[in-house]
Amino acid sequence: MTKKVVFQNLCKGITSPERTIFRPILMHFIARYAGGNYAKFASDHRFLVEANLRALDDFDIDMVGLISDPYRETSAFGARIEFIPEGVPRCLDLVIKNEDDIRNLKRPDVYKCERTLDRILGAELLAKRTHDNVPVIGWIEGPLAEACDLAGIEQFMMMLMMDPGTANLLLDKCMLTAKDFAKAQVEAGCDVIGMGDAICSQIDPVTYDVFVKERHREIISFIHACGAKVKMHICGDITHLLPSLKDLGIDILDIDWQIDPRHAYEVMGPDVIRCGNIDPRFVMDKSPEEIYSTCKLLCDNEKGRKFILSAGCEIIVTTPHENLMAMRKASL
Amino acid sequence: MEEILERLAHCVEFGKINLASPYPPDMRGQDGADELTKKALEMGVPPTEVLNKGLVIGMGKVGVKFRENKVFVPQVLMSAKAMSFGMAHLKPFFNDGSVVRKGKIIIGTVEGDLHDIGKNLVSMMVEGSGWEVIDLGTDVKAEKFVESVKANPGAVVCLSALLTTTMVNMEKIGKAVKEAVPGTIVAIGGAPVTKDFSNKIGMDIYSADPQGLIDILGKLN
Repeated sequence: MTKKVVFQNLCKGITSPERTIFRPILMHFIARYAGGNYAKFASDHRFLVEANLRALDDFDIDMVGLISDPYRETSAFGARIEFIPEGVPRCLDLVIKNEDDIRNLKRPDVYKCERTLDRILGAELLAKRTHDNVPVIGWIEGPLAEACDLAGIEQFMMMLMMDPGTANLLLDKCMLTAKDFAKAQVEAGCDVIGMGDAICSQIDPVTYDVFVKERHREIISFIHACGAKVKMHICGDITHLLPSLKDLGIDILDIDWQIDPRHAYEVMGPDVIRCGNIDPRFVMDKSPEEIYSTCKLLCDNEKGRKFILSAGCEIIVTTPHENLMAMRKASL
Repeated sequence: MEEILERLAHCVEFGKINLASPYPPDMRGQDGADELTKKALEMGVPPTEVLNKGLVIGMGKVGVKFRENKVFVPQVLMSAKAMSFGMAHLKPFFNDGSVVRKGKIIIGTVEGDLHDIGKNLVSMMVEGSGWEVIDLGTDVKAEKFVESVKANPGAVVCLSALLTTTMVNMEKIGKAVKEAVPGTIVAIGGAPVTKDFSNKIGMDIYSADPQGLIDILGKLN
């Protein structure tokens, strides 16, 4: 049975008694592991694919992915991006400085912008190199995160409160590009689209419901219509948002380490695959034995439920390789 | 006098900046922190009381609500904005020494880390509790912290990091500061930072949230 079939079965509710799917978020860690750096990983899809394939071979991960950094779409909207050898790419300027900038913001062609095209090409190459045997996870920036990337977090957060009409206009434009980018990646071979909307953990449920929820729903429905599943990733504690997220049609919900997996199950229900939620610092700092036993306990607790073993967020670059292997072993 | 200070605190607590501000919707058309601070001073309320019985009280309530997840970042930003409009009227009194701050902090996000939302929230709330804040920005190297501490003896140094990859720089910066100016108190915070980590690298203060830091700073005086 291929990894893709195992995943498809999990989506249908057929859980494997032998193995829990293992899909940590891997970026800087695999860039270094594959002999390169973060700048190369974020700017060259061929290296990103090679790094994923190394992780597939050496750590036996069950899904590969195109996640790299938050600024693919931001670049397509016109921001200048600086690549840092051992750090997350930097956005050098805010595209949105005033209301006019929002009105004049053009819908980018994701096939014509270098950074979005690079990810689309990565999707094609990953699908080709894994011979349709391994689920490929594409990636888009959620509308709130993208709006904050374009306008600045503080500026956009205050705009939500002070000028909701203009904020909604920018969110709509971000949503449209999220859909364009998702569609392009699905057509290039992605089975799943991850939607990163990290900043949502910093807003209250009412603000989420008013400004973000229906846009998430629309993007999720759109991706489903394109033929892919949706993995929602919001960094941090989203316990307060779970009731709002439960009816959006999310296929996979990443749960960070602050969230009680049992509580997430109770709120989200049995149909949503939860993915998590070991503290990445724990994976970095503890011994392989400790990591194995903690992950094993988590997997055992989740037996028979829709669950993917992962860390709550990205595996830290300095994590010892044997620690990641301990996670894999615990999921078998 | 008490009434206007209560109204001022209420404006800060709920993020009512000024008369023109449409937020919060249920206070539309009312004076905000801007007008009420000005009016309080015109009425002869001592600037120290405007600060401590109006603005600081409001911001303190926000800090507690933020810690208890009753308000989130957008609401805190609105409160901080309201606070800043009030503080602008007090600036002359700070400059001439008739209003004295509780102390001074030097804050920055550590080298390699460009995230500023956490640092900015702490800055706003600490300032709102009556401290002077020197904000060095993001991606700040040890040398810059040292230079600032030398220029501001007695200031508490606050280091922020959002990334696990950059929080390791806190140790280097904290040590450099303590070596250059022995006795300097260093506080650290940020999403990946823990009390254990703070103890491990020999820092003096750790807080999981801005209000916690304010509480600890309050005990230093």
